Amino acid sequence: MKKYEEMSSLEIDVLREIGSIGTGNAATALSQMMNKKIGMTMPEVQILGFNEAIAKFGGPEMIVSGVLVTTSGELNGIMLYLQQLDFINAMLEEVLVEKIESFEQLGELEVSALVEIGNIMISSYISAISKLTGIHVKLSVPAMSVNMLGGIMSVPMVELGHQTDKIMTISGKFLVDDKEVYSNLLLMPDVGSLNYLLKKLGVLNE
Amino acid sequence: MSEKQLVVGIADMKICRGPQKLITYALGSCIGICLYDPMIRLAGMVHIMLPNNMEGSNSNVFKYADTGIPATIKKMEIFGGVKSRMVCKIAGGARMFEVQPNSSIGNIGQRNVEAVKKALAKEGIRIAKEDVGLNYARTLLLDAETGAAVVRSFGRKELVL
Repeated sequence: MKKYEEMSSLEIDVLREIGSIGTGNAATALSQMMNKKIGMTMPEVQILGFNEAIAKFGGPEMIVSGVLVTTSGELNGIMLYLQQLDFINAMLEEVLVEKIESFEQLGELEVSALVEIGNIMISSYISAISKLTGIHVKLSVPAMSVNMLGGIMSVPMVELGHQTDKIMTISGKFLVDDKEVYSNLLLMPDVGSLNYLLKKLGVLNE
Repeated sequence: MSEKQLVVGIADMKICRGPQKLITYALGSCIGICLYDPMIRLAGMVHIMLPNNMEGSNSNVFKYADTGIPATIKKMEIFGGVKSRMVCKIAGGARMFEVQPNSSIGNIGQRNVEAVKKALAKEGIRIAKEDVGLNYARTLLLDAETGAAVVRSFGRKELVL
């Protein structure tokens, strides 16, 4: 079985393409839901050490809101949707016609709106890549946490880190009305599922 | 702050002497273990992720409670620390997400706490103070001058252990 850091550039390209299709579908879903122009950046595939991965998404003590879904079936891994206030406000303005100044002001209603948005985007992402690759994926019920990025990102690291000191993130960012906001959708597959997926697509070079 | 702060990363360990400080950021289900020998003002901190090392000897020992704690104590002993004088404080072991159905994500924090306590008991070290569990991340700072540990978290008061 190939480790994350042993993936060839062709294999990484294929994963980036998968990320691109997933992110594109999530963007379309969000755009339809919000009736807003939603763009996306080219997804990135990164294989980083635990500390570097947290630094890449903003540093350990940055406060973010995270919606987490675990995937099982033929793709074991975690999807994490990280957001900051700029993105949250763009959404809340549309859904609840309100804005918040800080994370402390998130009430039950706001939280359930954000969980639902995250859920729909993650589901569209997974259903697109499941259709594309023919793999069967089951999703958990989404959970949300507003806290330090380091604590939130340690969850997939702990879950997937038993046999490795690295984590693979396939991440896409979204643009709301052409403005870049902090809104990162991450797919983190476990090593075994990654090998299975690449083999199934006929690109795994063993 | 004029004193130097040494950053302990995830699955990492560092030791220092006063007036330096050790800091580890945003412990989620991970646990930060502070060990302090007050006589010589020697401080050690390890940031573990998982309870038990099943990878074998070529892995990073500081990733696991059962191998990280003895390795930290050994390192401190090399620098003159004495186990019987060591004071221990721990923080972390939270449950960041309520994931349904109950998966391993839900209780890894709790399992880490149990493994840390077991590893410390094996070394004969008592935990003087702890701030573990619940559902939020903690930043842990250990002052090698005084042995005081400070826990910082989002939306809560700073806590001195």
